[in-house]
Amino acid sequence: MPDRTPDADLLASARAGDDRAFATLVQRYEPAVAATTVGMLGPGGDAEDVGQETFIRFHRSLDHFRGESSLKTYLVHIAMNLSLNALRRRRRFMLRFISRDETPIESAEPSVGPDGNVDADELRVLVRRAVAQLNEKHRAVVVLRMFDDCSTRDTAKILGLPEGTVLSRLSRAMKELEALLAPYVNGGAALPETTR
Amino acid sequence: MIDHDETFDNDPLAGIVRASRAEHFEPGFSDRVIARLSANREPELSTVLERHFLKIVPIAAAASLMLAAYNWWGAHETASSPIEAVLNLPQVTLASAYAPSVLYGAAATGSETP
Repeated sequence: MPDRTPDADLLASARAGDDRAFATLVQRYEPAVAATTVGMLGPGGDAEDVGQETFIRFHRSLDHFRGESSLKTYLVHIAMNLSLNALRRRRRFMLRFISRDETPIESAEPSVGPDGNVDADELRVLVRRAVAQLNEKHRAVVVLRMFDDCSTRDTAKILGLPEGTVLSRLSRAMKELEALLAPYVNGGAALPETTR
Repeated sequence: MIDHDETFDNDPLAGIVRASRAEHFEPGFSDRVIARLSANREPELSTVLERHFLKIVPIAAAASLMLAAYNWWGAHETASSPIEAVLNLPQVTLASAYAPSVLYGAAATGSETP
């Protein structure tokens, strides 16, 4: 049964050195942090390392957290900053050690059903792969707005951008995603237009 | 946090993208975080020594300064140089260096006669 203790009580206990209270907070906000780090870095060790580091940093700053933003926004902010740092490190490593001649490994084509669609699990993998193909700026906006359900205002605050820039990047990113995913959804037909 | 009046709320693609978010890390994530926290709490020997050293340094420096001032205050008029005064070095002259008590020890200056 999930622990229903309010965040404020858990925070007070964690500040007093109660590791069980802090573990409950970790369990409660693991989905938000996982959505951010896996969305930005892809599944695997890097995302988990950054996820752990997010909570370690949060633990260190427990006394400074005043609740001006929600705990989720606060954690997502840390996770996003650490993910962007990890991406920069990864890029430097790739530039230094990986030959530019190397071609990316092609992944297997997903199996398409008789209706022309892929099954839900495969679609999830395809969407994550498509998000990973977006450039860093567009990916960050998609991760925060779509994966973390952050508002445009919070997204802008976390990324240090004007709200208009967030909206335009999101719009461009969604168009890119639509193009990348078009062969696999709606039997390969274009997705229905909606108000954007 | 969610703006219900914002764009993309009814977009089928947005729904597909939202449904593909990662929900969890590998099982036992919170245990690993707590284990890392505990490991960070146990400081290494070098860290402990450094911390103690940093505590001692100002006290040792203050004590040295006080001792130097005390030495200088007592000997600055008689000492030949400020360094001698600060370090409270005894004055060494040729006569004192060749004194029998220095050369042969205190016993040589006693009442013993050959």
